[in-house]
This record gives sequence, structure tokens and C-alpha cells, in this order.
Amino acid sequence: MPASTRRALAAVVAVMGIVLLVVGAWMVILLGPSGEAQFSASSKAPGALVVPSEVLNAVDVPVRVTATRADGGAVFLAAASSTDVRALLATSAASTVSGVQFPAGRLDLHASGAGVPADIRTADVWRLTATGAGSAGLLVDQSRAPETVVATSGDATALTDATVTLTWDDTAWFFEALAMATVGAVLAAFSLNDLWQGRVIAVRGDVAETKTSEATT
Amino acid sequence: MTRHDLITKSVAMLRLRREDLIGKDLITKSAARLRLRRDDLIRVGRVIVVSVVCVVCVVMIASVPRWGATHALLGIREAPKANTTSAPLTVDQAKRILARTFTAAYLGETTSGAAAQAQLRTAYTGEGLRGVSGRVKLASVQPALSASLLLAPHPKLLAVSRGFGFPRFIIAQTVASDGGLPILHLLVSPDAATPYRISMSAEMVPPATVEPFDRLSSGSPLVTNGTGLAVAPATLLNLYAAQMAFPAKAISKAPFVADSFAVQVRAGAAGAAGAVASQATYTQVHTVVPSSVYAVRQASGDALVLGVLERTDSFAVKPGENVNTVANKAFVLLTGKELVTKAASITTLEFVAFTVPRSTGQATLVAAREQIVAGAGS
Repeated sequence: MPASTRRALAAVVAVMGIVLLVVGAWMVILLGPSGEAQFSASSKAPGALVVPSEVLNAVDVPVRVTATRADGGAVFLAAASSTDVRALLATSAASTVSGVQFPAGRLDLHASGAGVPADIRTADVWRLTATGAGSAGLLVDQSRAPETVVATSGDATALTDATVTLTWDDTAWFFEALAMATVGAVLAAFSLNDLWQGRVIAVRGDVAETKTSEATT
Repeated sequence: MTRHDLITKSVAMLRLRREDLIGKDLITKSAARLRLRRDDLIRVGRVIVVSVVCVVCVVMIASVPRWGATHALLGIREAPKANTTSAPLTVDQAKRILARTFTAAYLGETTSGAAAQAQLRTAYTGEGLRGVSGRVKLASVQPALSASLLLAPHPKLLAVSRGFGFPRFIIAQTVASDGGLPILHLLVSPDAATPYRISMSAEMVPPATVEPFDRLSSGSPLVTNGTGLAVAPATLLNLYAAQMAFPAKAISKAPFVADSFAVQVRAGAAGAAGAVASQATYTQVHTVVPSSVYAVRQASGDALVLGVLERTDSFAVKPGENVNTVANKAFVLLTGKELVTKAASITTLEFVAFTVPRSTGQATLVAAREQIVAGAGS
């Protein structure tokens, strides 16, 4: 292989290695040893808080959903098929999670509807439910995806000023990120070393060429 | 003007030397000013370019939506599509619904007052509610509650609906703790906001059995138009209702096997007609209650058809006659009348379930129950 091609290849591998190292190290720091990613958003608008399947089922690991209301009232949190939740909420006022900001840890909310939310607690569509004073939490597995989680008031008062938090954790993510960083470091180290060695040989070659030239003259 | 002249003139104008404008010398001069060798300066330049490319790559990989490293590493995906061939309920959910509904039904039938009425409305719907209301009203003159379907502690879940459309159903079977015939129940939920409630219940007719349904996890489909069955569900029930009329109407090529329930109803009608023959004219009409028919496909391809018929017993009192109804305690309880001079009627609901074969053959009655629900007289 010509020296120039070898050096170009080494440079490309070095770039790839550095990229893997930086991204991997960044993810390791962000996720931590437990491999946890947490996102939250608050809504002061009255109405239900909705986590649609596009977010809830975006990753094939269980997601822990927690809803907290500032006034300490009862919270009703439930998961059901997305079709059923759409039918239940219809035109009711709701704040729906429309995006996840990583690594900012933020959820984007989209407000829709204006009607007073119906009492959806008695419906038989809920696969999982949780109620609590001030906050409630659910661990939603992915076995029945696509599903939607709804947080609403568990009592007669309307749900306002509430926060929804989504937490995914998978230890495998941490080790995957660690592996990525390690592979990147190894690739970068070898290819940079190769580039450095090539430079030394080239410099020595220049010196040898100069000496030969002097001897000839 | 040649290129050479242009550079020379430009140099003169800028009061610079000609070599200053030539790139090769610029690098050499820059290297000299930085006290570096020319080759080292070139290498430094390359390192800077590579670093910039690295940073750009990192930013792209980390931030481009749906393609970035975060998506790849975390396994972020599109949400799966809804599985239309699965049940909308888990087995646990269905069992919880059964437990709640039968508890409410039991409380509704064993207590009294507004709370009992509320429990009944929680447990029953439609014709089921009409039937149980009649049963509660006539409790003093009808068989005791020991024969009730509600004394069954462990309902057996037979089938749940398939897919996420409405109406949805649950079919369950109970056997009263004190023995007796197994009872078949149909619970329905018409929309997402309305809980499942008992729509009908009927005792199994010996020696009939209910063939297995599809797995509970996949649910059982509703048969909407009778395709693939020996007879369409609506046609079956309409013909069954017609053949039970009094005076009797002949049905050619009945799509159902003769059964003990129909025989019993016809015998009762004939008896009533004979008993009042001198004082009144008696007729009996059966009609299928609209929207009460459900047909559920079984694993074998056959279907279980459930429906409700409304039977009206009419008495047209002959001129100058007075009919004493004291002996008919149910009629007196429902109407408060012990003497009828013009006309009287009794409304009874008949809850029936048939097994319909998938291709040829006749349907078989597997469960039936009747319940007086109303009466009128003048």
C-alpha cells in the first residue's frame, strides 16, 4: 500500500475513533452507571397531561411515568391503548408531550382542546392505573404497545400546574456507551500512532536524502 | 496585460514585494514569523482541519434527529402499530371487570333502596337491566335468589372481543355455589367511556355445551353479517321468534333444532289460551330486541349467537266479561290490578343463545332464560 494511501486511511480511522470516543464519553457522563435518562415538563393549563405512544413506546424498555400536582390534590394516572385514549379525550383540554429534548432533559408540551375533561376514571380501557395524593407513578412495560398514558385529577378539582416526568433506565446503555468510548480510544490511539510513525520515517527519509545529495556533490 | 504585469503593478500599488502575494511564499513567511519549519506549519494546518471535521461529525452524529448516536445507542424507534388481531383487554383486566360487575350485581339484588338501584345500574345494561329490575320487583313471587346467577364466586372467563373497535364484549360462565345449571353471561361496552355491564344472562340448556373460543390473548371476532355461517344470526333469531308465536305459525325449513325451551313456552301459551278461552282472546308475539344480537366466532369456525326476544302475552277480554287476575301474582305486582275488563298484556324478555355451525346444519339452543318485566291492564 502506498504511504500516502496508508496515511489517508489512518487519518480517516483516527477521525472515526475520536468521534466514537467523544460521543461515547459524553453518553457515559450523561447516563451514569445506572443508564438513566430522565425528562420532565410542567403544565399550568387545566386539563389532562398526555404521554402518547410516540414517546412512551419510543424505546423498548419499561418507562417510569410520574405525575405530580402542585396543589397536592389527588392524581389519577393510567395507561391504555392509544386508540381508546384518543376516543376518551376527544376534544377535552389536554397537554400532550410532543417531543423529548436530549440531553436537556426537557419534554415539549402541545396544548389542545378546550372542553372540560370528562371523568375517565371509570372507563374499562385502562390496563394500568395508579392514584395518589399529590403524585402518582406507573411503570409501563412495552408488552402492549402502542399505549398512551394520561394523568388527570383524581378528585373533583381540575388538574392544573402539574408536572410529568418520564424515566427510562437500562444499565446496558451505560456499558454500550462505555464500549463505544473504549473502541473509539483504541482506534484513535492506533491510527494516530501510525500517523506519527509515518511522519518520523518521512523526516528521516528527508535527512537521508539530503546526506546522499551532499555526498554526490 | 499579462499575469506577471498585473502582479507587479499590484505590488507597486500596495507597496509590497511581489513574493508576498504568492501563496507558497506566504506559508514560508508565516512559518518563519511563527519560528516554525514550513512543513510543521502545514501539519499544524492539517491537524486544525481534521479537528474541525471531527467536531462537525460529533455534532452531527449527536444531534441529527432520528439518525444521531443517541437514537442508535438508546434504541429509539417508531412506536409500534396497533395489533388489530389482539384482545383489547388482558386476562387480568377481564377478570377484574367480572369480579366488579358480579359483586355489584349481587349487592344490587340482595339489598334495597337507592343504593341497590345504583348497584344494579353499575352491573347491568340494556335488556339485562330491564330483566333484573323485573326480577327484583317480582322477587316475592318468583323463585328465591338461591337460583340467581349471582351466587357464583368464581366466574369463568370464556371469551373477550378482538381488536380495538366497539362494541366490545366479554363472555363468562358461572355455576352457582349451591349447584344448578351453568349460566352464560354477555357483558358489553358500547364505547371507550362506558364500562362493561351485563347485557344478558341465561341458564345452559342440558345437555348443551359451549365450544371453545380463540385464545383470550388474541380475542374472538364478532360475526357481523353471518358470512361463513349456516344461517345469519339475525335471520336465525327472527325465525326462532316467529315459530314461537301463538297461535302457532308454520316455519318451513327451520334453521334450528327443536328445543325444550320453545316447547315449554308454546305449552305455556296453549295453557293460558285454554284457561281464559271463555273470557278472553289470547295471543302471544315474540320479537327480536333491536341491537341485542351478538354473534361471536368460536375456534372451530362455528359461532355463538346471543340475543334477546321480547314476548308479549295479550288478552282481549270479551264483551261483558271480567277477568279476575288475583291468581297471577306477578301481574298484580306489576300492574296493581286484580280485575281486568278490557285488555291486559304481560311483557317477558327471553334471553337465548345458539350455537350456529359454520357451513351447513342447524343451529342449537344452548342457553335460555325468561323474565317477566312489565304488565298492563284495563
